[in-house]
Amino acid sequence: MSTVAPPPALATQALVAGYERDLPIVRGVDFQVAAGELVVILGPNGAGKSTLVKAIAGLVPIHSGHAFLAGADITRSPVQEKVRHGLAFVPQTENIFATLSIQENLQLAADILPRRVQAERIAEVCDLFPDLAARRSARAGNLSGGQRQMLAVARALIVKPSVLILDEPSAGLSPKIVGEVFARLKDINAAGITIVLVEQNVKAALAIAHRAVILVEGELRHEGPAATLAEDPIVAQLYLGAAPAGQEEGR
Amino acid sequence: MNPQVLVDGLIAGAMYGLGAIGVTLTYSILRFANFAHSELLTFGAYAALALSSALGVLSAGLLAPIGPFSFGWSLPLAAIAAMALTGLLALAVDAVLFGRLRVRRSSIIVMVMASFGAALTLRSLLEFVFTSKPAYFTRELQIALPLGGGMRATPDQLLALAVAVLLVVAVHLLLTRTAIGRSMRAVSENQALAGVVGVDVRKVIRVVWLLGAALACVAGIMAGLLVQLRPYMGFDLLLPLFAAAILGGIGSVPGAMLAGLIVGLAEAGTVQLIGAEWRTAVAFVILVLVLLLRPQGLLGRPQA
Repeated sequence: MSTVAPPPALATQALVAGYERDLPIVRGVDFQVAAGELVVILGPNGAGKSTLVKAIAGLVPIHSGHAFLAGADITRSPVQEKVRHGLAFVPQTENIFATLSIQENLQLAADILPRRVQAERIAEVCDLFPDLAARRSARAGNLSGGQRQMLAVARALIVKPSVLILDEPSAGLSPKIVGEVFARLKDINAAGITIVLVEQNVKAALAIAHRAVILVEGELRHEGPAATLAEDPIVAQLYLGAAPAGQEEGR
Repeated sequence: MNPQVLVDGLIAGAMYGLGAIGVTLTYSILRFANFAHSELLTFGAYAALALSSALGVLSAGLLAPIGPFSFGWSLPLAAIAAMALTGLLALAVDAVLFGRLRVRRSSIIVMVMASFGAALTLRSLLEFVFTSKPAYFTRELQIALPLGGGMRATPDQLLALAVAVLLVVAVHLLLTRTAIGRSMRAVSENQALAGVVGVDVRKVIRVVWLLGAALACVAGIMAGLLVQLRPYMGFDLLLPLFAAAILGGIGSVPGAMLAGLIVGLAEAGTVQLIGAEWRTAVAFVILVLVLLLRPQGLLGRPQA
């Protein structure tokens, strides 16, 4: 790598993380995502995929190693600071505030922005998601699974993140809705936002990703361009007997 | 039934409602039942008494009753300072006790037991400093004004009702119309997600302590003004406050006020119909019935 190359949009260095100090789930992961990439993290159930992204987002304690966002060390920054640095995270479940309205969900995310741009940012995101914009005063808890996922993504986009991380956005959605969500993610990535995706739905994910990494037992075992991994027997082997797409992983 | 029951019940209920708002806010955001909340009431009342007396010593004019009320300007001035002091006390207790337990991810039962400890300590301290002899904000006598329909109320009682209504509306608007209110509701629903969205959860917790304590202080001053100040005044209100918070639905401010009024009216009605010795049982019966029949309360959402 040349010395003038920009730092990766997101990187981890020997990252060890887990809920309990003596029980690391992610065991020394070195992982880089270049700006503009759409990378999918694959792996069997319990491999530590969710834990890895939650640790980067600040929801799971990091025991050792580092996480970097555009070269800046974010290992120790508290969860609410990371979004201010440009890292947006969409959890797998309970990723919207069901008791708040759609408008309030979006406004909550906009509250960390300067007051004069808040309305403008919400309007821009509503243009991207006209279905949500049409029922802004509805309680988010009344939305369907697919609409909730769209709202979670819309809310993450309010702050114009540089990196968007999603933990299994296809979980619990019908194949048709998964197609819609993934098409939307591809558009968002094409607009310049780096995306990292944890997925069980291997086929759908590899179809939109540039690159995939495979996590097994908390370690990064394999990586490569999405197109070649889709044909790779190792992927088929890892997923043989694995749970069908949409099933929850770990905790 | 004597229509005066309505007035008595509403006035006691307004006081319960104010205290219950603090309970419901801290419960829904800190996620444990803080049994030391009642001691914030007592502390607030005594702090106002001490400050009001001090102001009276500085200037006797401040003790002259305002219009039809039984107290002078020293009390409202002292009340504002006492609200701030009660808020600081709540922050101090959080810093030395609950905050440390949160960092250790202590279980809810540990937090609840710690709150019992805090309550006992604060109550004993107040008893030590102010003695267990009842105290009064004022010795002025008040004539109850006829309200029509055979009901009467003193100007102090009517003022207490008005202040309670005003504060409920203010807190409701704060929660529904402002950024900090939005953050509070977000933290109450899902603390982890609130952090992900950029909410500073620790700041929200501090605001909740300040707000809950300030409301407790006002409720305590009301209790002191309408009845008397005793070190056990808060403790005696504990059951009605929790009954109101749970009947209203944890997290619901209008629910807490509505339920406070219901508990107050039920108590007053019971005293009339059955007998004064059953008064304290009313809140308990309401609490048990709500938990059995509608655990989410009147205006609360079902708990996951």
